[in-house]
Amino acid sequence: MPVDSMPTAMSELLVRLQQESPIPMDAELRCTGGQLLALVGPSGSGKTTLLRALAGLVQPKHGVISCGGETWFDSAAGHYLPARKRRVGYVPQHFALFPHLDVLHNVVSGMLHRAPETRVAAAHDLLERVNLAGLESRKPGQLSGGQQQRVAVARALAREPQVLLLDEPFSAVDHATRERLYGELAMLKQTLSMPMVMVTHDLREAMLLADEMCVLHRGRTLQTDKPLELVARPVSTDVARLVGIRNIYHGEIAGHVPDLECTQLRFGAAMLKTPYRPELIPGSRVQWVIPSDGVVFHRRDRPSHTERENQLQGIVDTVHKLGEITRLAVRMDDEDRSLLWLDVPSHLARRNEIAVGVAATVSLTVAAIHIIKDNS
Amino acid sequence: MDWQALRLSLLLAIATTVLLLPVSIFTGRWMAESRFRGKILLEAAIATPLVLPPTVIGYYLLVGMGAHSPLGAGFSELFGRPLVFNFSGLLIASVLVNLPFAIQPAQRAFEAIPQDVRDAAQCCGMSFWRSLWAVDLPLAWPGVLTGLTLSFAHTLGEFGVVLMVGGAIPGETKTVSIAIYDQVQSLNFEGAGSMSLLLLLISLGLLVFVNLLGRYAGRLHAYRNV
Amino acid sequence: MRLFAAILATCWSLLVHGADDVPLIAAASDLQTALREVAQAFQSDTGGKVEIVFGSSGNMAAQIRQGAPFQMFLSADEKYVLDLAKAGLTRDEGQLYALGRIALFVPNHSLLKADEQLAGLRTALENSQVERFAIANPAHAPYGRAAREALQKARLWEPLQSRLILGENVSQAAQFATSANASGGIVAYSLALTPAMTKAGRYALIRQDWHAPLRQRMVLTKKAGPGAEAFYTFLQQDKARAILTRNGFAMPQEGR
Repeated sequence: MPVDSMPTAMSELLVRLQQESPIPMDAELRCTGGQLLALVGPSGSGKTTLLRALAGLVQPKHGVISCGGETWFDSAAGHYLPARKRRVGYVPQHFALFPHLDVLHNVVSGMLHRAPETRVAAAHDLLERVNLAGLESRKPGQLSGGQQQRVAVARALAREPQVLLLDEPFSAVDHATRERLYGELAMLKQTLSMPMVMVTHDLREAMLLADEMCVLHRGRTLQTDKPLELVARPVSTDVARLVGIRNIYHGEIAGHVPDLECTQLRFGAAMLKTPYRPELIPGSRVQWVIPSDGVVFHRRDRPSHTERENQLQGIVDTVHKLGEITRLAVRMDDEDRSLLWLDVPSHLARRNEIAVGVAATVSLTVAAIHIIKDNS
Repeated sequence: MDWQALRLSLLLAIATTVLLLPVSIFTGRWMAESRFRGKILLEAAIATPLVLPPTVIGYYLLVGMGAHSPLGAGFSELFGRPLVFNFSGLLIASVLVNLPFAIQPAQRAFEAIPQDVRDAAQCCGMSFWRSLWAVDLPLAWPGVLTGLTLSFAHTLGEFGVVLMVGGAIPGETKTVSIAIYDQVQSLNFEGAGSMSLLLLLISLGLLVFVNLLGRYAGRLHAYRNV
Repeated sequence: MRLFAAILATCWSLLVHGADDVPLIAAASDLQTALREVAQAFQSDTGGKVEIVFGSSGNMAAQIRQGAPFQMFLSADEKYVLDLAKAGLTRDEGQLYALGRIALFVPNHSLLKADEQLAGLRTALENSQVERFAIANPAHAPYGRAAREALQKARLWEPLQSRLILGENVSQAAQFATSANASGGIVAYSLALTPAMTKAGRYALIRQDWHAPLRQRMVLTKKAGPGAEAFYTFLQQDKARAILTRNGFAMPQEGR
């Protein structure tokens, strides 16, 4: 891979890995300096294995890993640098602090590349940056989850790493602390110039913190994109399911209306307006998705903007009251009798007397419909 | 009280323990970190002295170190005396017989170090020796010490193997446990009784020490409040 | 690596093998008291010291075959000495130094009668009054073999089978014979005479013609040095012989 001479590209992380066993992997990643890439996927999707491969803790069978212009792994050339020869900042899921050392010395442990006299002062500085000043002489056993996480991050940064790797950094922390730590990480991120890779199974976390999101399934990277892009335009139904979209259906391209910038999609008896995609062949069978927030419950007294919305009739099939939100499934009259899922505020559900078996009208926002070429 | 025998036993126990110190650390750590085919077999092989009758072990050692074996013959060449019926032979036998006592507790202690702590050490740039000194040993030393203490205590009490390989030669291979046996045969129950009591007290003391170590080790690791 | 091992071994040798030059003597365990007395006399007369290890003759012979560093061997059965000589491990065929005798021993707590004909034992057996009876292991201890022969002669071997406990050597047999569960045993006469045993019970000498003679032979091994030689000579002299006789051994006729 030719090395770009531009500064941001110099710190870029480039990864291409492949193996069948012991854990299957087929991954392709890139992440530039200062950016945070979230690796998202269900448990067992190989996220941690991939992260450990990036760290140099496990050697994959085939592929290339390079960071900051330095090649860390190249199977074709027989080249492999183990973790301790790379400069990676690694924050494991349960933080893995050294239990016998106090906070200060945990951070100093990451500074072996520095001259010994400079280590303590530098460690103090880092601890201030992560808001832990004053806790230097505590042992890990005396720290809360959030404090332990910060020490782990400080230790990782102590290494002056070329990439920062975080393995589900918030999973071991309680909810309130988590919200606070999101803010801290976001701020910290702005001061860092190296690429950052974060593994998480929490979509919301990824949407909040990541610049790019990569969906992983059984060791294979399915799609990498900006988080909002990825959720709005998943490249396959697998990705759609993995990012939590439940509304996945079949349909047929009816035709295009270039003047109105729309493509027509037949869904059962209905003809839906969807964003203009000239490359789709009329008559072809496709799959399409729409996130729950693209579906609006039609209130009798609410005017509908027919140019931007598609109206559909159906019967309410499922009502789940989840506190302030009520989750509805409305059965459509397409050939699959598909369920359309949407959320409405509970007070609205009450006011409109929404119940199972009741006829309902829903509106599908045109822009939210995304067609996926049928590859089944 | 056969002081010469007691001195011999203590010397044997100390020498065995000293030799087993690097063995327990390096073997224990390596076995804790490695995964390979046949690991189960190796673990079983190391554990055999725990289940084999001492006479069987003694027999095989006699065959392996006797005058007709390469090891025994080589030793006689070098030093002009046989390896069996010799303190050196006894020491070799003692080290082999105590392998499981020295290795198993150390291995468990190294295994108790979470993999991610070892990962973190590597990502901090620590070399093999550095991580052993800075991370592994500080966390695993109670287990290593337990293993060595058990080896020491076990060596003090070892009888069957010592008798078969050593020949009960006074000042050379007649350890205190053999001396006790001897005293009983000579109907000197007083002498046997006092030596036995001494050994009992030493063993009890060592075992109490081991138990305290175990408790301390438990506290070392209990910090994950997740 | 070899150098390291050599250094280590040498250090140990120096540390442990203190009195290297004191000759090591292997002796049958029936000589426990007697030989110690002889060794004391030897030391006061000549200043020479010996280190004695006691055990069953069979075991000691086996150890010598394995290369045990004994410079002299006093066996309770000349067969072992002659075998070693044949194997080329000794200087010569050695000398007869004593004839062993066996005795019935009955501990104080036992109700057995001790008599030369073993009639008390016979009666007790018929009345099922014998608990345990100790002899040395006939397989490798000469005194055990002699005990078996005597019992067979008295036609008591079969009935005693289920009651027997076997000592590893005749010393252990004697120790077993004094224990609480034992009704008695057959031990070396020399052992029955020791203070510890006389305190613990009573004995009856068994007839010499009831067993093959216990021809006790001693020999210098190929490893023997001047110290051992001197002791070997001393054992053939009057003083040593007197001590042996006093301790329950018969002297062999002159010659072989």
